[in-house]
Amino acid sequence: MSTTIQTTTNGTMTRAGGGTVRQKTDLKSGNEAAAAAARDVGFHVMGYFPITPSTEVAENLSQMAADGEHEICMIPGDGEHGAAGICYGASLGGGRVLNATSSQGLLFALEQLPVQSGTRSPMVLEVSTRTVSGPLDIRCDHSDIYYALNAGWIVLMARDPQAVYDMNFAAVKIGEHPDVRLPVIVAYDGFVTSHQKRRLEVFDDLEPVKAWLGPCESPYTALDPSRPVTFGPYMNDPDLINNKVQLHLAQEAARRVIPQVFAELGGMTGRHYPVMDEYRMEDAEAAVVLMNSAAETAKEVVDRYRALGKKVGVVSPNVLRPFPHEEFRRALKNVRAVLVGDRGDSPGAEGGNLSLEVRAALQVDPENRTLVITRIYGLGGKDFDDTDAECFFDLALEAAKSRKVAKRFDFHGAFAGDPGQKPPIGLPVLETAELQRGMVHVKVNERTGLLDVELEPFWAMVAKPNRIAPGHGACPGCGIFPILHQMFHALEGDVVVLFQTGCAMVVTTGYPKTAHRATYIHNLFQNGAATLSGLVEMYHELIKRKELKDAKELTFVMVSGDGGMDIGMGPALGTAHRNHHMMILEYDNQGYMNTGAQQSYATPRGHRTSTSEVGSRGGGKRFHHKDSAQIFAATHIPYVFTAAEGYPEDFMRKVAKAQWYAKREGLTYGKVLSSCPLNWKMGDDDSIEVLQEAIDSCFFPLYEVEHGHTTITYDPDALGRRRPARDWLKNMGKTRHMLRPENAADLESLEAEIDRRWRRLKAMHEHPEL
Amino acid sequence: MTTATAHGPAIGMLGIRFESIGGLGAHAAGQILASAAVLRLGLNGAHFSSYGSEKKGSAVKSYVRLTDHDTPIRSSAPIDAPDCIVVFHTALLSNPVTVAGLKAGGTLIYTAPAGERPEALKRVARTCRVIRVDAQTIANEEKSRPNAVLLGALCGALDALDARAVLAELTATFEKKHASAVPHNTRAFERGMAEGELIQGLACGEGDLPTMRPGPVWGYATAPIGGVIPLPGNTITNNLTTSRTGYMPVFGAEKCVHCGLCDIVCPDYCIVWGVVGDGPVPEVTRMRGIDYNYCKGCQRCVETCPTGALTREEERPGMAARLRVPIFDRIGGGLNTK
Repeated sequence: MSTTIQTTTNGTMTRAGGGTVRQKTDLKSGNEAAAAAARDVGFHVMGYFPITPSTEVAENLSQMAADGEHEICMIPGDGEHGAAGICYGASLGGGRVLNATSSQGLLFALEQLPVQSGTRSPMVLEVSTRTVSGPLDIRCDHSDIYYALNAGWIVLMARDPQAVYDMNFAAVKIGEHPDVRLPVIVAYDGFVTSHQKRRLEVFDDLEPVKAWLGPCESPYTALDPSRPVTFGPYMNDPDLINNKVQLHLAQEAARRVIPQVFAELGGMTGRHYPVMDEYRMEDAEAAVVLMNSAAETAKEVVDRYRALGKKVGVVSPNVLRPFPHEEFRRALKNVRAVLVGDRGDSPGAEGGNLSLEVRAALQVDPENRTLVITRIYGLGGKDFDDTDAECFFDLALEAAKSRKVAKRFDFHGAFAGDPGQKPPIGLPVLETAELQRGMVHVKVNERTGLLDVELEPFWAMVAKPNRIAPGHGACPGCGIFPILHQMFHALEGDVVVLFQTGCAMVVTTGYPKTAHRATYIHNLFQNGAATLSGLVEMYHELIKRKELKDAKELTFVMVSGDGGMDIGMGPALGTAHRNHHMMILEYDNQGYMNTGAQQSYATPRGHRTSTSEVGSRGGGKRFHHKDSAQIFAATHIPYVFTAAEGYPEDFMRKVAKAQWYAKREGLTYGKVLSSCPLNWKMGDDDSIEVLQEAIDSCFFPLYEVEHGHTTITYDPDALGRRRPARDWLKNMGKTRHMLRPENAADLESLEAEIDRRWRRLKAMHEHPEL
Repeated sequence: MTTATAHGPAIGMLGIRFESIGGLGAHAAGQILASAAVLRLGLNGAHFSSYGSEKKGSAVKSYVRLTDHDTPIRSSAPIDAPDCIVVFHTALLSNPVTVAGLKAGGTLIYTAPAGERPEALKRVARTCRVIRVDAQTIANEEKSRPNAVLLGALCGALDALDARAVLAELTATFEKKHASAVPHNTRAFERGMAEGELIQGLACGEGDLPTMRPGPVWGYATAPIGGVIPLPGNTITNNLTTSRTGYMPVFGAEKCVHCGLCDIVCPDYCIVWGVVGDGPVPEVTRMRGIDYNYCKGCQRCVETCPTGALTREEERPGMAARLRVPIFDRIGGGLNTK
């Protein structure tokens, strides 16, 4: 073993061939490092739901699984809340459990986090940190991880991909320690670290590492009937406080365990992580406290300032829970002024959690005279470079010199604005008369009691202004926009739309521009339907009270996608059961395309996505596609339909009916098959042909359920156009593998399911009561 | 630019920026380059790209930092002042951000047919090396992608990069899943190395180009609260020309029957209609053409057109500007025909 000491990328003094375990050099991003560590730990179960920027962890593990590199059972949740539930259940079985998330995903799962810690069930959660909505922003800050600080979990901070890899092994060992038994978060900067490839060392011999980790042992398991236990009893006072004391004691025990584990791991790797990373702090008069990647940037400035004789240093915690208050007191003892950079604010508290806790830690030391400055920086992915770090050091140096803090709290890098500068104005407000052009004619058929619709020809429809302007940023050939165009052609009068998070939302509203000409609302896809139902009822309530000035007749439309309708299903079903007067339109492009084509529940079995990768061990999605039209039909709302991009007349007739019912009777639901050339892996202009094959194979039947009566509106059997599903699958890069002999089971299973659903639908079509 | 160069024994700190459009392979090129440097040349390296959502056709910047084996890379920030810029799409040169921050002694590689001398490059320092390579044509001819050609051109231009190592990494990246692509990529790479043309007399600027990071239009004192945008439809000021990758639909009025099918399938809402009063039938709705400011070149209109009035044509410089029919008479003035 070498004794050479040098500085690694993370600034800790370590190795050159140090460490007792054989390693190899690689180039990996933070997410890839997390996935590699997960493979090397050999977790038993991963429950997850894709969210940028953490998604690549599952994507990488999916590819590795397809190539036979690990045996982790990977379960795609129905949302992050469901994923957290999967993880909780799995952890009660006594094996090793992994999850990865970011931002809203962490917040959606947050309710489950104290359950996990309060019942003392270890697991590992990768958090690729990202700011919290709204408005929605997918880039890095620490506001998500700040929400998790009260959840009772151990929180390890990983400043670069090497640390992400290393901290994962530490996380398993710390969390499972009998004195700790807590779940552990490994947090690293979204995009900055999650997506930046860096040189790192990974284990090249797992035997000693596995021996060190040992078997996963838990004092209680839900899988041993010979030792029955009750997990999660009903516990009021006087007991709960005692449970929380146990949790506190576990965190206190972690203070002792963490350095031990870091030392043992460091022996194997040659990389030693202190609880508190202190860079050139020996005689520092002014210091900056930063977490993760920004601290590394600041170290460069320290070197430069030190060369100029300025006594500065950087302090950054490698552990955030338990909070290293003693380490902060020690590191800052002789520092005259410290600037704490918070990548997240606690609005109204004059500081983010880091600076509030640093101040609280210092306050305990009666001799401490360190001045503390807070700067909120780098929000929503705003870059932090050396000039920003210089600014922080200059502020701290100035305070150290003058012994005064000019401004205790401020935002760094915010912009007040120039009153002379405004975003471009767009288009004039659409007049109701322009939108009420009589392009569709709906009337009740006296004989059937159902609706008949007549359409004006397409060339006449072009006179109607589009409610979405050009200049949006969708991919070439995107199927969503023809669908929206056709829907808007058929909708008469003024509309209010709500888009759930997805492609159509992202590409139409890049601030400070919007393609929407009608009023548009975004809410996260957990809750779009409920949100719009609230607005619908406010509209009716204001009209009832005569408080809505110049009240106009409005149609309310919620648009869900991409990937279909998954994570917001609960609130959407609630909205259906309450039967509000509004429309829901789902564009089903068979995957979460906006975030890089992960499988959704609408993805058919066997299809390749970035989380159902295909390799030497097979792959493709493991379960059948969700039938959301039938799910909504079962709520007995007045009108449900399916449609596809290639059948505009059929679709527009159904939209006209949906609007008629939404105004008079209640909720309507439409599911529309929409192409995604990029992620279906086909040409930009192949959509119509491929959609036709999907429909002619009966994979996606076109039908409507009107007052409970099912009518097939395009019957490939009757028209003699029925084709085998393979004719459809052979034309998409994402499915071509299904035609290979080794994937015959998936193909046959999909074909059988398509046929079963089609026969069932035909039976409903033929039955007078269905 | 954050990286210190004080460490710099052999190569110092080398910053490379790829300016591209999603789908042209700049991200993959950066990854191959950094992997070759770290795994094959014993250098230290980092690679990352600018990201939005996962869309094709939008601007992408990809960054590679390379330094000597024992020098740490600490900054994660974008490379504002690069030593080398590689431009993957000629149209990007019209935006000054593309070449912003290029060091006076740096290298600029752009893709364009022979003879193309973009005016925008005049701003580049005369002390820079400017290299042209026709990556798109070579890629088409070799059935490869522009990124392989441009990686070759880059290796030809920079002494610090051992072309054999980069080519080996390019091969390793493809041989597992797309083995058939390897010989095509190899030829594209080698032609990129050989066919880079040193362009003299075009760059006539002085010193480092200033760095640019576009700031926000609205600030906290001027933006409406809550992030609302009370400016309906202001995406009409966007120009999406760079989303097209080589082909555009072209309208031939003589074959058009004005059925409206193209309008129904166009994702970009760029088919222009107007009421024409001087035809045989007065006051009828007629298709007038395409607004190429918004057209992303998907060809769905061409595929749908029942009469052949819309055809797929290779896009030549200046063609879109010549054939464009503006959908809005005055951008920002509010008058619209649709």
